[in-house]
This record gives sequence, C-alpha cells and structure tokens, in this order.
Amino acid sequence: MVYWLLFRKSFSRNMQYRLSHLINNAASAIFGFVYIAIWSAVLTGKEQNSPFSIMDMTFYMGASQCILWMTVFLTAGLGIQLGVRNGSISLELARPTNYFFYITSQEAGRIGYNALFRSLPIGLIFTITVGFYIPAHLPTYGYTLLSVLLAVGISLNIFYLIGISSCWTTEISWAHFINLTLMFSLGGQMVPLTFLPGPLSLVAEWLPFAGVVYYPVMIFLEKASLSVLLIQAGWFLVLLLLNQWITFLARQKIEIQGG
Amino acid sequence: MKLYIKLVSASIRSRMQYKMNFIFSMVSYGVIMMIDFVLLAAILNRFGQIKGWNIYEVGILYAISSISLSLYRTLAPELHEFEKYIIEGEFDSLLIRPVSPLVLLLSKNLDLSRIGGILQGILILCLSLYGLSQEQELIYIAAYLPVILVCGCAISYSLALFTATLAFWTQRIKDFQTFTLYAPFNAANYPMNIYPGWLKMIFFTVIPVAFINYVPMLYLLQKGGSLYFLLLPIFVAALFFYVSLKFWNYGIQFYHSTGT
Repeated sequence: MVYWLLFRKSFSRNMQYRLSHLINNAASAIFGFVYIAIWSAVLTGKEQNSPFSIMDMTFYMGASQCILWMTVFLTAGLGIQLGVRNGSISLELARPTNYFFYITSQEAGRIGYNALFRSLPIGLIFTITVGFYIPAHLPTYGYTLLSVLLAVGISLNIFYLIGISSCWTTEISWAHFINLTLMFSLGGQMVPLTFLPGPLSLVAEWLPFAGVVYYPVMIFLEKASLSVLLIQAGWFLVLLLLNQWITFLARQKIEIQGG
Repeated sequence: MKLYIKLVSASIRSRMQYKMNFIFSMVSYGVIMMIDFVLLAAILNRFGQIKGWNIYEVGILYAISSISLSLYRTLAPELHEFEKYIIEGEFDSLLIRPVSPLVLLLSKNLDLSRIGGILQGILILCLSLYGLSQEQELIYIAAYLPVILVCGCAISYSLALFTATLAFWTQRIKDFQTFTLYAPFNAANYPMNIYPGWLKMIFFTVIPVAFINYVPMLYLLQKGGSLYFLLLPIFVAALFFYVSLKFWNYGIQFYHSTGT
C-alpha cells in the first residue's frame, strides 16, 4: 500500500539523523527538568491546596515532554507550503492518491521515528533520574494508546490545515507560530489546564489543543475520565472532514490556475 | 564600526520596504512571547511565590533574560542561521571579501521582528518594577539595568558564536542550539535557587546564564551576596566573549567548502 510505503520511507529518512537527535533529546530533558523544578518550588508546602502533588507534577512533566515529540514538534505546515511555492503541489494533487493521506502518511513516518528515538529515550532519562509513572490498572495502557493515537490524529489535521491554507496565503510561518503557542499554552504542556484561571480553564478543556497534550497525559496518569476520549475523537472527526473539504477546494483552485 | 553602521542601515532600509509585514510580525512575536509569562503569573497568583521570589521579582528575571536573547536574535540572525552557510557553501563568499567574515555575518541582516520580544520584555520589566516600587527603593536597579542588558546580550552572543563555530565540524547546529541557547534561556527566566545542584552547576559555569540576571539581582533585590555580584556579570561576559572569539578563529581553520 502506497501510504505504508511512504510511512516507512519517511521513518528511514529520519534514521539518518539519529546522533544529532540524541543530543536534542538531552536538551528536551533539560526543559522537562526546568519545569519539574519550577513546579516543585511552587508546590513545596502548598500541596494540600493543589489537585497535583509534587510527584504528580514530576510525572506530568515527564510524560508531557515525551508526547510533545509525537504531537507538537511536527513539520511546519507538513511541508505543503513548499510545494505551493515551487508549484509541485499541482502534480501531487493530480496523483491517483488521496492528497491528505499522501502528506500525512509521510509525517506519520516521522512521528513513528520520533516515538522510538525521541520520546522513548526522553522517557528513559526521566525514569532513571526522577522516576516515571507506571499506571496501576492494565486497561490504562490501552486507553493511553488510544488517546495518543487520537492526539496524533488531531495534531496532524491541525498542521495539515495550516499547510493547505498556503494555497490561498502562500506564507504560513505566523500561522505555524501561533499554532505552536496555542498548543503549548492551551495544550497544558507547562501548566495543567486545571491550574488556568476559571473561565479560561473551562474553555480550554473543550478546545482541540487539550486533546494534543493534556488529555493523553491525564489518561496515562489515571487522572481523567474516559469521556475525554470522546472530546478527542470528536475533534479528530471534525478536523478530518474539514480538511477533506478544504483539500477539495484547494484542488479546484490549483486546477483553475493551471488551466 | 563605520562600515558596520553603513551595512546595518542598508539592511534596515531593505526591511522597511515591507512596513506592514514588519509591524505585524513584531507585534505578533511580542504578544505570543508574553503568553508564557501570563501562564507563570497565573501559577504565582494562585500559589503566592516561588522559593522566596514573588511575581514582580520573577518578572524582572524573566524580562532581562527575554530582552537579552531578543537583542541577540535581532542583531545577529545570520549567526543564528549559520549552518546554512556551511551546508550550502555560502561561507566561501564571505571569506573572499576584505572584511572579517564575522563582521559581514553581523551586518548582513537584522531580524527586526524580534524587536517585539524586546518590547514585551520592557513591558514586563516596567510592570514588575512598578509592582516592586511599592515595597522597596529601585534606583540602583534602574541605574544598573543598562549594564545588565549589555552583559546579557554579550553572553547570549558568545554562546551563539560558540555554537555556530561547532558547524565547522558538525555542519548542522540546530540541535546544539536547543542545548546551548533555548533550554538555558528558558531556565534563566526563573530564579536559579529552584534548580537541582547539577543544573545550577551548568548554568553557573559552561553555560553561564545565571550571570545574566540572577546573580546581580540577588544583590540588587537584597536577597544576598555582595557588591562584588554586580561586577561578576561584566567579568563573565568579557571572558566568554573572548573565549568564543578565540574558538571561532580556531574553528574557521577547519572550514571545507562544499564545492557546489
């Protein structure tokens, strides 16, 4: 199957940069240690007023640093804007494949690589140094896997949406920058959403960004109900359909230009 | 210096051809950078303080670190993107000119959108100083701030130059930058006393970001130390600048053109 082949090729291409990625993993772990230190300092002596203990926050930060590499640190616009600029998108859209799956299966290969060569080593660093949460209930592993897959699906769709928007805007660097900021802030990477001020916390829990980092981590830590999977699945389906429609519009626009 | 000013003013003129793009990118960058601090403020608003540092004091640390890094990113974007010169063989064109390649790199371009980062830092600094002015005298902090910012920019630049030099051997430096610039400057946004010993050791020695804001502020905010703490940043900035310059001059001998 062509998408599986693209997945494997993308995975193999990333294998070329293993060494430099290992160095980057150390830096990612330092980011994690910095956040753990901040929360330890903030919560010392105040744990009774917090829904998270210091140990909980240590596990939260460790797990979120791991998942970032699968859901947030993706290729800007999935590289679609490059094809728009050099014109190669017209050829890619004309191929007898689904353009959305053609693009996302390549990025999925990179995500698979990141899971093995970035998330896993970072998780190991935290396991050795500060500890890593081990779910007490067996089904949690299955739910976490499902939640991570949905998180990857949501993220791929958001990045694709930004990339395909370049058919109209050409420039996507600021959209990418804004998206990353929203994923970091409203995704709960530094601050779990329950700590945000009241109304913002309430709104953030219903946005797709929560499904990218916060919910998978909370399910892994056994601190969220399974209903959050429905929020993730809902956003995944909405974004998937939206992208199919926008790809249809993009194809029409490109064909008109080429005619 | 005359040549540098001439080259930089030419760069500014070329950037100003797209005024709206400049204003939009500068404002967006500043606003987005501020979200980080707003999140921190939300935490401190709920929990009070972080190991003896209140929101205004952390705000000063955050602002100094943020302004220092943004100053460097504004003034030296080509040094930050140095790997492209090595990978694409563009460094050849700098070597054949009768001016130091480092001066050419610095004068080639300015990233004016990063001024947004400087402005957001200044805004946080002003708000934090105003908050603190209710509690203590700030005249010494205000007087010493220019020195701190120059030292901060010099330390950022030195770290960046050191990282860029690695490209003569490794070609790619993006991954090193996360280790030598992004992670340490993120850490420098907060007081160093919250970190475990081994991390503190790194930030006080090989990647000396503690001297950008924490060390002088310890004394200026009357949290400990002596007058000597105000001289340390100047000494560390001068030393690191000298060492990174020497390292650059050493590394440049190992440059091999790509032949493209």
